[in-house]
Parts: sequence; C-alpha cells; structure tokens
Amino acid sequence: MKEGFRQAMAWLHTWTGLIFGWLLFAIFLTGTLSYFKEEINHWSQPEVRRHALDPVNSLGLAQRYLEANAAHAGSWMIRLPNAREAALSVSWRDPEAGRRGFVSKSLDAQTGQPVEARDSRGGEFFYRFHFQLEMPYPFGRWLSTFCAFIMLVGLVTGIITHKKIFKEFFTFRPGKGQRSWLDGHNAIGVLVLPFHLMISYSSLVLFMYMVMPAGILASYSGNTGDYFNELFGRDDPPKAANVATPLVPLPTLYAKVQEQVPGARIGYIQLHNPGDSNAQVTFTQASADNIAYKRSAKWTFDGTNGALLSQGAPESGAMATAFSFAGLHMGNFAGPWLRWLYFVFGVAGTAVIGTGLVMWLGKRQLKHAKSEHMPSELRLVEVLNIASMSGLLLAVAGFFWANRLVPVALEGRADWEVNAFFLAWLLSLVHAVLRPGRRAWGEQLALGALAFALLPLVNGLTTGQGLDHSLQVGDWAMAGFDLTALAVGLFLAWAASKMLRAPKPVAKRASRAAKKPTADVVEVG
Amino acid sequence: MLGIALIGFAGFAALCLAMEKHFSDLLGCKPRPQQVRLLRVAGWLLLMLSLVLSVHLRGWGHGLVEWIAVLMAGVTLWVFVLPYQPRLLLGLAAASLVLGPLLAVLAG
Repeated sequence: MKEGFRQAMAWLHTWTGLIFGWLLFAIFLTGTLSYFKEEINHWSQPEVRRHALDPVNSLGLAQRYLEANAAHAGSWMIRLPNAREAALSVSWRDPEAGRRGFVSKSLDAQTGQPVEARDSRGGEFFYRFHFQLEMPYPFGRWLSTFCAFIMLVGLVTGIITHKKIFKEFFTFRPGKGQRSWLDGHNAIGVLVLPFHLMISYSSLVLFMYMVMPAGILASYSGNTGDYFNELFGRDDPPKAANVATPLVPLPTLYAKVQEQVPGARIGYIQLHNPGDSNAQVTFTQASADNIAYKRSAKWTFDGTNGALLSQGAPESGAMATAFSFAGLHMGNFAGPWLRWLYFVFGVAGTAVIGTGLVMWLGKRQLKHAKSEHMPSELRLVEVLNIASMSGLLLAVAGFFWANRLVPVALEGRADWEVNAFFLAWLLSLVHAVLRPGRRAWGEQLALGALAFALLPLVNGLTTGQGLDHSLQVGDWAMAGFDLTALAVGLFLAWAASKMLRAPKPVAKRASRAAKKPTADVVEVG
Repeated sequence: MLGIALIGFAGFAALCLAMEKHFSDLLGCKPRPQQVRLLRVAGWLLLMLSLVLSVHLRGWGHGLVEWIAVLMAGVTLWVFVLPYQPRLLLGLAAASLVLGPLLAVLAG
C-alpha cells in the first residue's frame, strides 16, 4: 500500500511536471528577472539619469510641474524616486481624453523637466508576462495560477517520491549522467525548498480571489470591487466642490508623515481634486519599508489646510498573514544582497524545473538508445524542451537587443521589443524542429552565449553608458545588468561547449543503473 | 548578516561531516562514534546560534527571512562545490567558525 502510494505520487510528479514544466520554466525565469524589474527598467531607459535622493525637493518639483501642466485634471499621482528607481514619475487623468486619458511623465529628479526616454516596457514586460503570459485578461492569470498550483503539487509529490531526503541531503555526484541530473534536481529542490514552497503557495494567496472566489462573492453580494476597497482601505474619492483653492505645499505634508513615522520612505502620493476646496492628498509608505504589504501605512490629508484626515485601518491577523506572503513573494523589502539571493533562488527554482524536463526525456531516450529513430512523441518532447529552455533565453536576449537597436523615434517601438521576444522564441522552435536534438541544444546555447556576452558591448556602443562609464560613475544598476549579461553569456558558452562536444560514454553506467531501478530511487515515471 | 551566514555555513558543514559517508569521503578515515555525536551537536548548536543572533540583530520578521535565505545559500554552495573543491570548502568552514562569531560580535 505504501509503495503504491509512493508510485502514484511519482506518476503525478512525472506527468504534471512534464505537461506544465515548459510553461512553469518560462514563468519562473521571467519571474526571477522581475526581482530586478526596476534595474531592468533603468537599463531599458538609459535616458533617465540617477541623482542623489531628495524627497522634499522632488515633491516640490512634481507639484510645480503638475500645477503648470495638469491643473485641470481631476486626480494626480506622484511616484518619488528611490534607491532603485531614478525617475520622478507623475501621472494624471486627462478629463478631456475620456476614460483612457491617462498621461504619464518621467521627470528628471534634479531639474523637474520631463525626460524623453525611449518607449520601452523594460522589466515591466517580464513582470507582467510571469503572471499574465501576454494573454487576454483573465485567462493568463488563470493559467499561471493553475501552474502555481501544479508547482505546489510537484513539490509535495516530489518530497514524497524522494525517499532519502535526509540521507542524501548533502549529496551531489557530478559526471555520472542521469544519476547526476537526479542528484542536482533533488538537491536544488530540497536545499532551496523553503523558497520554492513560499513562492508557489504565495502565488495562490496572491490570486486567492480567483482561486476561491465563493466567500468573497457571497459576502459582498457579487461585488468584488467592494471587497478590494475594504481590503486595501480605499475610500471613494471626494466630489469636487468647484471652488478654486490653492493646494497646500506637498513638502509640508511630507514633514507631517515624517513626524508620524520617522524615516518612512514614501512610495507614491495620490491627489484628488487638486486646486479645489475638496482636495485630498494620500501618502503611501514605500513597500520597501516593510516585509508585508501594509494598508495602515497610509496617511490622508486635507489638501487645502494640510490637516490629517485619516490613517489606513490596521490589519487583522488573517490579513497580515496574507499580506506577508504577498510581500515575501514580491521581495520589495529586500536590499541589494537579499535581492541577489532572491534572484539566485529564482534561478534555482527554474533549474529544478529544467532538470526535471531533461530527466524525463533522458530516461526514456535510454530505452531507445540502440534504435535509429526516436519515437515521435519523444522527439516532440525534445523539441519543446529545447524551445522552452534555450529558446526562451534567446527570446530574452532578443528583447534586450531590440531595446538597443530599434530606432528610438520609431512609432510603437515598445511593441517591437515584445515582437522581437516572441519572434526569437518562434525561430528557436523552428530551429529545434529542423536540427537534431543535441546539435539544436548546442547551437542555440552558443548563440545565446554570444547574444548575452555581447550585450554590454552593444549597450556601450549605442548609449555610451557601457561598463567603462557605469563603473566609473557608480551606476550599479547599469553595471550590474551588463556584468550579469556577461556572466550568463559565459555560463551558456560553457553549456554549449558541453553539448557540442561528442557525448561522454556514460551509457554503460546508466544502463547498469537502469537494471536495478528500485534499489536507489523510486522510479519517477 | 555575513557573520550569521558564516556561522550557519559552519553548522551545515558540521552536520554534513556528522554523516559517516561524507566524513570518510572528506577526511579519509572512519569517524569514531563520539566524533559523530560531537559534530551533530555542534552543527545543530551553530544553526541555533545563527538563528538567535539573526533574530536578535534584525528582529523577528527580517531576522527569520534573512536567516533562511543565508542558510539556503550557504548549504547550496556547500553541496554543489563539495565534489569539485572539498579542501577549499573544509578550509572555508573552519574559517567561518572563527570569522562568523567575530563578525557577529562586531555587528552587534
């Protein structure tokens, strides 16, 4: 009975892992990139210059700009620059332009002048892709949420399947073919398990309203908008009185927030009816200040006399738990070194999925090692493995190359970056179909190595902000991007050289292992 | 936090050496039962010490999160570098044993 249960779990692990592995790989890789969303944004829009942070001055600049350019708008939004974001962002709703009349500008944090940055979705693209998959709402969210559930299933079934979780806790034996892949898969899975569990479980918490909507629908009579307003403590904006009244200087309100919470960093400021006698200003604390999202870290002022009207409602226990999972998932609180660890663990999660996919195929290929032709279903898996892994890397590189090479003045250039991403992905699929497996791997990895290793050079040539410049002025986001691209290039070159060389004679050892399957591991698949 | 990371790293190294297979692979001789017991106790104590220090220095929220993060990073490094550079890692673990508490004391 016990063995039967374990076999059943192994079966579930194998097949859900295969069917959803390709998509999960893409979700994990782009999600991992999203930990450096702001840094990728910075690289994608090198026109935005970084200055020393001065929130009081920035607020004054933003207010002056908005009063001069958006005095007629019903609401304003200001995002202050922070350690990771260089731009002072302002946006407003243009009443004449209808419902979609949302105008956004990036201002230089020192001069307050708008920066004409190239049109690019930057890190935002990867962030959105990792939970919306470029699909129409709500299908992408549904699919990625389901993938998160499968990941959780994969982790639990993986733990059950993996018999010797403690005995082999420290075990990694390289250079032994399938054995090494399994060791690697297990070791990364087990050693980084807290992260994997946190990520997949918190994804379900984040989309709880989609996964388990019944409670919300029943309590709020089907009106989910009310639920979110109550959850995030949002009030209906006040109506304009149509009596012109000057807006209180925003820096004075900033000082009042600092009295409440000394040292609080401010994320964004929202204004309703600026310049009206019913003006209202809400300051929200930066998410970098707390691990959990906090709806209480919010202060609303009367925009005419600067009186504190209300503070965000405190969180209940359940809410604080859910908000903690959300905060842990997104990692906004993480400083530089913890952010790098987040990135590394994200890569580890991607590697667990990737090694799993490789093993599924490798194991079945062994059985057909002697015959000329691989069965077509195995060939299909092989092609999809190549396209979903090395192909995705090429797609990411394609996006960054397009960012530097598509002319800045081109209409709709942000869309061309996205097109380059999908075009590169599609081409890699075609290439994987046309070339034999190992060659296809090797060639795509080699091309990826070139594409990533040359990115710093392309950056330097097209923007003049290459490593020589960024290291000198201490622009660590720019330099970090370039150095990471270089490191990825080197890693891919190493992987490509392994693939392009003739395979090592490990078949003998592997076949011996295959003869006594249950001795070492439960057969996965 | 580096100090805490090093203490945790040394803890995992001790727990790894407390397993007979790894002990004989790394040190070239069979461990005596007392050695195994000593290593196991020392390993767990080091992990506990790093947890206590982390919570003490960084508070419950950040302390727990960062403790888990540096522990995962340390043990992953240990496991994947061990087959290639066992001597280097043993040296690093020994150095961590000294450097870790020193850095933690300086940070506190």
